[in-house]
Amino acid sequence: MIRDITIGQYYPGKSVLHRLDPRMKLILTFGLIVVIFLCKSFFSLGLIALTAVFAAIISRVPAKMILKSLKPIVIILLFTAVLNIIYTEGGTVYFEKWGIAITEKGINTAIFTMIRIVSLVVISSLLTYTTTPTMLTDAIERLLSPLKIFKIKVHTLAMMMTLALRFIPTLIEEIDRIMNAQKARGADLESGGLVQRAKALVPIFIPLMVSAFRRAYELAFAMTCRCYTGGEGRTRMKQMKLKFRDFAALFFLVAVTAGVIFLNIKFEAVI
Amino acid sequence: MSYAIETVNLTHYYSKGTVQQVAAINDVNLQIEKGELVGIIGHTGSGKSTLISHFNGLLKPDSGKVLVDGEDIWKNKETLRQSRFKVGLCFQYPEYQLFEETVYKDIAFGPKNMKLSEAEIKERVLRAAEFTGVKPEHLGKSPFDLSGGEKRRAAIAGVMSMEPQVLIFDEPAAGLDPKGRKDLVELIKNYRKQTGSTVIIVSHSMEDIAGMADRIIVMNNSTVAMQGSVDEVYSRGDELRSMGLNVPEITEIFAKLRAKGINVPANVYTVEQGENILRTLLKGGAAV
Repeated sequence: MIRDITIGQYYPGKSVLHRLDPRMKLILTFGLIVVIFLCKSFFSLGLIALTAVFAAIISRVPAKMILKSLKPIVIILLFTAVLNIIYTEGGTVYFEKWGIAITEKGINTAIFTMIRIVSLVVISSLLTYTTTPTMLTDAIERLLSPLKIFKIKVHTLAMMMTLALRFIPTLIEEIDRIMNAQKARGADLESGGLVQRAKALVPIFIPLMVSAFRRAYELAFAMTCRCYTGGEGRTRMKQMKLKFRDFAALFFLVAVTAGVIFLNIKFEAVI
Repeated sequence: MSYAIETVNLTHYYSKGTVQQVAAINDVNLQIEKGELVGIIGHTGSGKSTLISHFNGLLKPDSGKVLVDGEDIWKNKETLRQSRFKVGLCFQYPEYQLFEETVYKDIAFGPKNMKLSEAEIKERVLRAAEFTGVKPEHLGKSPFDLSGGEKRRAAIAGVMSMEPQVLIFDEPAAGLDPKGRKDLVELIKNYRKQTGSTVIIVSHSMEDIAGMADRIIVMNNSTVAMQGSVDEVYSRGDELRSMGLNVPEITEIFAKLRAKGINVPANVYTVEQGENILRTLLKGGAAV
């Protein structure tokens, strides 16, 4: 169950998207997400959807993997679609009963939001599919480094993120181990009401916390032993340099943004 | 009479249904008699842990059966629940499962899940604590205040207090110092002598196994590669080595002595045994 989460999952490859500077990828992703919310007509949204499909194709990440990232949001999608259909009114009325009206505008809005959410998820999961977590946090650190002026410890934050991501699989394994040990002592994790189930988690949760803290101390010791003192004076083995393709990608983002604005003006707005 | 544990064509796959599907254990047929002390050895990844996780139904076989006391544990919910209490499984580093406020409560967790009466629970906790050498004054303390060795004992008591018919230890001595190791081996031997229950020990330590087991099961490549008495298994040293295992160091020393023409027996598996033989030999007596 926990293993189905695809966030932070990396799909190894050598495509253009993989080789793009992670800082630029972050900027592109955030840029595109903002642009998604600028869309007002089906045409501008269509341009974004095409962009997402195009990016997915050049990333060479199998379609199956991308669909897998959409699996957790199916319920959210259906939920928003139903709400939109019920609560948006306007245009031709197709159906009216029990105080519920299904209108042309409602259906349009539902489709619009669905495409919007799917594009959003595809674009952001492409970022994690094509970028290793370490590269990603590295990029975040660089991009946030101007915040140092305000005495924010950017390096520490980035290190915390790297470590947190690194320990997700370890902790999942640990949960498995503890669950088995407690089940072997007859712990019942599967039946009973809500309160009983919550109580049944105590024997899992406490050992997990204890071991997480133990690991944290051990890791801190190991890092100190290797002379880690934080970000001060730390150099990097892998230098990031913007290349032609990075600027080309930035130009692409600008072009898409311009296209969206143009199509927004030219065509009728849906929402 | 039925066996304590029996497996019939037991097979379990990992990553089933994907391209990475591998058999963790493949067509394993085993019979473990009541009251027996069985050692399971095998290199890392040979399927030992997967095998023992089937004995109390933590893992469900992909095909084949597990019979505890002659009954298929996957027959219904109740047989599965009962198998957890009939077969006690003490994992590697069991001290990481401690969670209660006091040692007493932690040892009582298993019996409580069995829905026993308060009086019965108390009796069992005290019995298990005495057995494992958990000091009475520690029972009221938090388990996290104990030392490493004491924690291990408390955790083992937590499994023993269920008083299972079969008790399984996965690497019980891992991470203990030599004295802790020796104490633990004694503890297991005593437990078995007094309760007459079946004990299964999974271990890397050939010496520990040699000193205790009636029978040894060798796992290799997801199946049972050999099984037999300590003598039978350890006399096939070359085969064991080809599986990434070894015979006890003392056995190897005695093999080298024999190769030098010194008349010593080949079936020496524990240091005590070897010590006695060498002493009589030095005194001029016959070794065999």
